[in-house]
Amino acid sequence: MSQEVTVFIVDDDQAMRNSLQWLIESVGMRVETYDSAQAFLDAYYPGRAGCLLLDVRMPGMSGLELQAYLTRREIRLPVIIITGHGDVAMAVKAMKSGAVDFIEKPFDDEALLASIRNALRHDEKQRALRAQRADIAARMAELTPREHEVMSMVTDGRSNKEIAASLGVSAKTVEVHRARVMDKMRADSLAELVRMAMIARGDEV
Amino acid sequence: MKSPRMSFSPVLYRLLRMLPMPLIAIMIGVLSGLAVWIVLDQAQSRAVKRIFDSELQERLDLRSRESLLRFGQYMTNYAATARLLANHRRLAQYLEPLFWFPGEEVSPIVYEGFRPFWLPDFFGRNALLAPSHVLLVDSRSRIREIYQAGDLKLPEEMLADPQQWIGPGDEVYTVVTRLADQPYLVVSDSIEDAGGYKMGHLVVVVPIDADFLKASEGAVSADSSAVALLDADDQRLLATSEPEMLLPGTKLEQWTDNYLVTSQALPEYEGSNWNMLFATFIPNRSVTQMSERVVRFERNQRIIAALVFISVFTLVIYLVSARLNKVLKRMSRFSERALDIAQPGFQRGGNQLLLLEDWIQHFTHLVLKAREEMSRKHEHEMRETEALKAAIMEASLDAIVTLSRSGHIVDYNAMAESMLRFSVDDIYGVEFSARFLEPAQRQVFDAMLHESSHHEDAGHRPHARGELWALRADGTRFPVEISIVPIEIDEERVYTLYIHDATMRKAAEREIKSLARFASESPNPILRVSGEGLIGYANAASHPLLEAWRTAPGEWLPQAWIDEVRAALSEGRNHEREDDQGSQIYSLLFVPIQDLDYVNIYARDITAVRRAEQESRQHQSELVHVCRLSTMGEVATGMAHELNQPLSAIVNYANGASRRLQSGNTDSDALVDAMRHISSQARRAGEIIRRLRALVGKQPPIRSAVDLNYLVREVCGFVEFETGKLDLQIALDLAEGEIPVDVDLVQIEQVLLNLVRNALDALEERPVGERSLRIGTSTEGSHARVQVRDNGPGIPPDRMIHLFDPFFTTKESGMGMGLPISQTILEGHGGRIWAESEPGAGTVFNVQLPIAAVRADSPGGEEQESPMAAGMSG
Repeated sequence: MSQEVTVFIVDDDQAMRNSLQWLIESVGMRVETYDSAQAFLDAYYPGRAGCLLLDVRMPGMSGLELQAYLTRREIRLPVIIITGHGDVAMAVKAMKSGAVDFIEKPFDDEALLASIRNALRHDEKQRALRAQRADIAARMAELTPREHEVMSMVTDGRSNKEIAASLGVSAKTVEVHRARVMDKMRADSLAELVRMAMIARGDEV
Repeated sequence: MKSPRMSFSPVLYRLLRMLPMPLIAIMIGVLSGLAVWIVLDQAQSRAVKRIFDSELQERLDLRSRESLLRFGQYMTNYAATARLLANHRRLAQYLEPLFWFPGEEVSPIVYEGFRPFWLPDFFGRNALLAPSHVLLVDSRSRIREIYQAGDLKLPEEMLADPQQWIGPGDEVYTVVTRLADQPYLVVSDSIEDAGGYKMGHLVVVVPIDADFLKASEGAVSADSSAVALLDADDQRLLATSEPEMLLPGTKLEQWTDNYLVTSQALPEYEGSNWNMLFATFIPNRSVTQMSERVVRFERNQRIIAALVFISVFTLVIYLVSARLNKVLKRMSRFSERALDIAQPGFQRGGNQLLLLEDWIQHFTHLVLKAREEMSRKHEHEMRETEALKAAIMEASLDAIVTLSRSGHIVDYNAMAESMLRFSVDDIYGVEFSARFLEPAQRQVFDAMLHESSHHEDAGHRPHARGELWALRADGTRFPVEISIVPIEIDEERVYTLYIHDATMRKAAEREIKSLARFASESPNPILRVSGEGLIGYANAASHPLLEAWRTAPGEWLPQAWIDEVRAALSEGRNHEREDDQGSQIYSLLFVPIQDLDYVNIYARDITAVRRAEQESRQHQSELVHVCRLSTMGEVATGMAHELNQPLSAIVNYANGASRRLQSGNTDSDALVDAMRHISSQARRAGEIIRRLRALVGKQPPIRSAVDLNYLVREVCGFVEFETGKLDLQIALDLAEGEIPVDVDLVQIEQVLLNLVRNALDALEERPVGERSLRIGTSTEGSHARVQVRDNGPGIPPDRMIHLFDPFFTTKESGMGMGLPISQTILEGHGGRIWAESEPGAGTVFNVQLPIAAVRADSPGGEEQESPMAAGMSG
């Protein structure tokens, strides 16, 4: 982890903010609290690692609105929704919009902390994946169009002969292309190349 | 008034006044007849005399000429006889043998007293007086023989010279001569033999005496007239036919006094030795007699004429006066009645003419006065009329324009100016039709002008009407009604145009026409029914209604509705009724038209409306329910959220503290701080609850007097939808009459609704058809009771104990607050609630409320601590 992980708390109720901070800091995590969605957005910059604890009911920009805003801005900070009694429907909506979890007040501290940890892990994994995908994308950019074709066919599991037939070239040529792709992609094996292709397509690994 | 009679002396005048007209007429007739007669007598007598004289003269002339002619004729007869004798054969026979010697002095042979042979008696035969002598004279004029008829000897002059009486020729020679102062007629003729030889002469001598003259005149002179021969030189009478009266030898002038004398010369008898006149004498006496006879006759005639004249004149005057009398009577009546003159101004009776004159003067005066009065009045009226006319002209809502005969504008009113929007300066003399009518309409207008002066309605002034399109001065067109009335002013014809702007009326007509279609176009049934209930009119939309009533236009309404029609008519106000035919529901509005004795029925198919209303009521009751529930839910949710905050904070602080202590982090300051936070949050939670209670407590109870039965029915209405779903009918067993209670309507309804819904929930477990829900009301002393009885599964005894505890519920969604709240509400109302149940057989909930006594003792009851609606069942 290159960055320090932070748990961001956005709640309009100061008692809630402070008690949550008190609770979470008790397990040694770093906590930043904000009394409104806008205050959070002002302070946050993309790329900061961590997760977001968000109260759904807030004056001004509500929790759900903030979540939607983040999604639009492709800020993939994991969101945990805090909800009071009777806000279950809202929480479900938030989950559908991509929140990782929702916690009902009053909290079971274990459940909350587990959820936070889970979210942080998720965030870390996503970050790694995004970094790897960027790397693969950079390598793929070096391929010629013909090599692109060959690579996608190879990763689809087709044999050299099949590829040669469909491209109208000799198997030998395919072999050359394939070697060049492996080289450019710095793949040690076919399996690795396939994994790279999957990552590049955005599939979870 | 009496001035014209100044010339009359007053007495005479009064006398005249007294006498009636006929009398005066007779007097005037007699006087004037007399006067005329006198004048005529003078003039006429003279004229008659003159005429008579001239006539007499003429007749005398005639008579004298006649006498002379007769006399001449008589003498000619002698000549003819003499000639006959001279040529008689006897004389020839006598003379033939005889011969007279020429130289011989002989004395003539005289035959005295007898006639010789040669002398036949011809004179007597020819009615002639016999001659005194007849001589035979030889050719040498010597007298040879003499016949002497009487004693009278031949006068000496005759004997001395016969030659002078013998004519020179062969012709008979007649001469009147005077011999010895006696006039004689001497006729000679020559005697010739057969050979024409002259043998001598025959001379006939006749004395002209009275006899001769008488004979010459014959028997004619019956009027004692006479003739005479007289000497012209000394005017002496020689012989007369009446010697007894007129003595011969007397002078003529002796007789002119007594006789009218006419003398004439005898010129044809030449050879006479003296100047002789033939005179006719007519006695003056006979002439006078005749003249008097004529005058008398003429006078008689005149008297008759005068009498006739007088009588006719009198009669005429009498008739005129009678007529005048009548006229006078009529006039006095007329003046009494028509002119309102009580006193005619004259006395009846007396001279009608003067009366008439009086009356006419009086009348004239009155008429003059009246005319003056009238003219004053007329002038006044004229002024008023003028003012009125001007006012009418100006105030008229119609434009009034006066046109000359040629159609040019001569006058107009203010309305015309504003209607036609012309400018005042250039309008006089403008041709109306050219300026203010559409070109196509001008001919029509001209035709109207023409028609107006010829069209004559009975009893109306000639006029013409029409509708035209007019043009304003600015060129906009608008419909007008024009009425043209021709008027003759000082022999000059003008036309008055009354122009009415028909824009509004046209619009109104269109409006009315479209209105008239309303009834037929109406999608709702509209009927017109007579007072007896006969359907006079029904629009197309009313067929379904009429079919349902089994009637048709022209037939009778159903009896029930006929009664309604009569009621509406007699009351004179609208009746609104509903006709529920099962499948359809109609709203009927009976609108009576009393003047015309019929009723208009406006029907409306309100089936859909009723259904919608029913549904809407149902929805409304559901909505009310849902609303109440959601309000409760809101409050509950809000409260939960509020409480969640401090509670969560407390939990977090506590958990955080525990973890720190477990992990050996014993920073006591931080822990103490957390504890302080915990206690502060707990106080916060308490504060929230306190605030809530305060909020709820502030709601004042709303009490009103209401019928408990009504409340029960209301609540049943709320749950209609649900009972329908459960296919069950709530059985109502309500006390008779009203049960007055003084309650907060909404709260008690909540209680009852809660009980009913609980019962319904319980009944869901029973199979369809076996479900029974019964609600009854009753009164016990000062309390009213409501019983809600179901045949649900009942409540087990262990649960019965906790039935009214808060948050005790058997339902998944229930909060367990319904019954506790109900209990609180009832306690607030001074009532109570309890339940009885037999498991498997059903449950009865009882609600008891005090019956409202006099209003005064419950001015709001005590302040109740109702825990507000904190969620009932459901």
